[in-house]
Amino acid sequence: MSGRKLEPFTVFSIIGVGLAVLCCAVPFWMIISGSFTSESALATTGYSLFPVDFDLTAYKMIFTGPAVLDAYLASVFITVVGTALSLAVTSSLSWVIARRVPGVSRPLTVFSYLPMLFSGGLVPLYLLVTQYLHLQNSYFSVILPLLVMPFLVFVQVSAFRQLPESIFESAKIDGAGELRMFFTIALPLSKPILAVVGLFYAVHYWNDWFMALLFIDDVHKFPLPLVLQNLISNISFTQMLPQLAETATPVYQLRLALTTVAIGPILLAYPFAQRYFVKGITLGATKG
Amino acid sequence: MSTLQTRHESRTSPPSGPLARKRRTRGKVTARTSWSVGLLALPAVVFFLVFNYLPMAGLVVAFKEFDVNLGIFGSPWNGLANFVYFLESGDAARILFNTLFLNVLFLGATLAAGILLAIMLNEIRGTFFKRASQSVVFFPYFVSPVVISIILQVLLAGASGGGGAVNDAMTGFGLPTVDWYNEPGPWPWILTVVKVWQLGGYLSVIFLAAITGIPEEVYEAGMIDGASRAQMAWRITLPLLKPTAAVLLVLGVGRIFYGDFGTIYAIIGDNGTLFENTDVIDTFVFRALRQLGDFGTTAAVGLFQSVVGFILVVIAVLIQRKYSKETSIL
Repeated sequence: MSGRKLEPFTVFSIIGVGLAVLCCAVPFWMIISGSFTSESALATTGYSLFPVDFDLTAYKMIFTGPAVLDAYLASVFITVVGTALSLAVTSSLSWVIARRVPGVSRPLTVFSYLPMLFSGGLVPLYLLVTQYLHLQNSYFSVILPLLVMPFLVFVQVSAFRQLPESIFESAKIDGAGELRMFFTIALPLSKPILAVVGLFYAVHYWNDWFMALLFIDDVHKFPLPLVLQNLISNISFTQMLPQLAETATPVYQLRLALTTVAIGPILLAYPFAQRYFVKGITLGATKG
Repeated sequence: MSTLQTRHESRTSPPSGPLARKRRTRGKVTARTSWSVGLLALPAVVFFLVFNYLPMAGLVVAFKEFDVNLGIFGSPWNGLANFVYFLESGDAARILFNTLFLNVLFLGATLAAGILLAIMLNEIRGTFFKRASQSVVFFPYFVSPVVISIILQVLLAGASGGGGAVNDAMTGFGLPTVDWYNEPGPWPWILTVVKVWQLGGYLSVIFLAAITGIPEEVYEAGMIDGASRAQMAWRITLPLLKPTAAVLLVLGVGRIFYGDFGTIYAIIGDNGTLFENTDVIDTFVFRALRQLGDFGTTAAVGLFQSVVGFILVVIAVLIQRKYSKETSIL
């Protein structure tokens, strides 16, 4: 397709994509830039495209006290433990489905995907976690309800099915059982797809605030997104931050700084992880 | 929880007879195989039973006068009283309308945006620019609803409540400023823009994958016939994206009764002035649960939501199946 002249539609597309890129990038830039702008400058404009009055008060408040650090650690715990558990459960379930074991795989597929179509809803889940499992204020109340995402089972199953069958046949001849094949052949061969699925889970856990909102009401245990949400709706959390004597609490700048802190890890990991995400969706969408 | 125990044991018991239906079977299935296979599936099965199937049973709360001390199954029955209470509360019509209206808006707008973005991205040949822009438009998908809420405040309210970037821009064009957070009228559209911003890039990745699957010969034939790039996008790419769009549409219709709680609640919160146009089933249920502790009514609404949602999915799947057999999802 070389030697093509630039057609109007191509020009239109380049402009359109350019605008979309701006729309997606500028808001984040405004947040980051605003977090370095002093509260007094922010009070008049509400945002900043460039930190005119450079100021670090909010970051000083965040990083000198234990409150935000605790929230960060809570988020890290939920993300790391949650992702590890999710990966283990998802990949072993997917392996069983992918193997097409007669009488097992098919019912198991229906069993796993039915919850996507019909759910008990909020109230029974709430009662289950608080009244029966007594997980209130435990991080497992955030992790467990989100443990398996059926879409990622889709992805993992189709990835397992792409592994060459001959490997497993020869392993079987050598006397390997299902468990051995799973742990010593299938998993090591699936490292890239495990990365894909793991990243999806990690983002999911890192961003979750709904489960935390439902089940965690001890302010000292709030994960990061819940702290942010708390900071939007009221300022009770700011009382936990160390007060710097010379200034009043820069509530607005604090929100922006905390937002920057919350999206920071995703922003930093994104350039490296991005192609995995694309791969994952493509696999789930076309093969599912 | 003895009922639970016996239930999952019966599920994971070895399958009866290795010879049952030998269609596309991979290798021979021995007793040992099925035992270890059951072991691997066990954690997931327990998860689905406890967190998905048990709550379904818990929906009986909808027909009970719930008392925390008596538990779900000990509370007395009260028939349809919870449903009647909800329908007579005066909120029902508004909430149902909002849920359907907002979701139809979201679904249509995000799919259209995803397709448009994918077609435009496909036009760009420079690999670096294409990759970089795809990464950037995909990024909002990975951001927490809480962060989106803060971005909206920066854009619409600013520090004092009457400012924000959008109002500044409007002043620049000589338009009057708007106190967005006290004006329910535009919020369905604001939320739609938010959804497009959040999901447009994600959907474009899916559609772009589908475009990549279109054979090159089709476009070559188009070029020989003298079609312009725009004509090829309109007459070749767009019709060939229909099956993918249909699948996504079906999945979307299935979720149409679920109001995307996360995004809406993170943005609106308990701002009562905006409820008129933004309160959906999920946010209503959540507030009723947290503020009033009314388990019976909220479960009744939830049951209604699940049943109607399920019927909608089944209808959508059947329709989609009729029109495109090969892309059916179930």
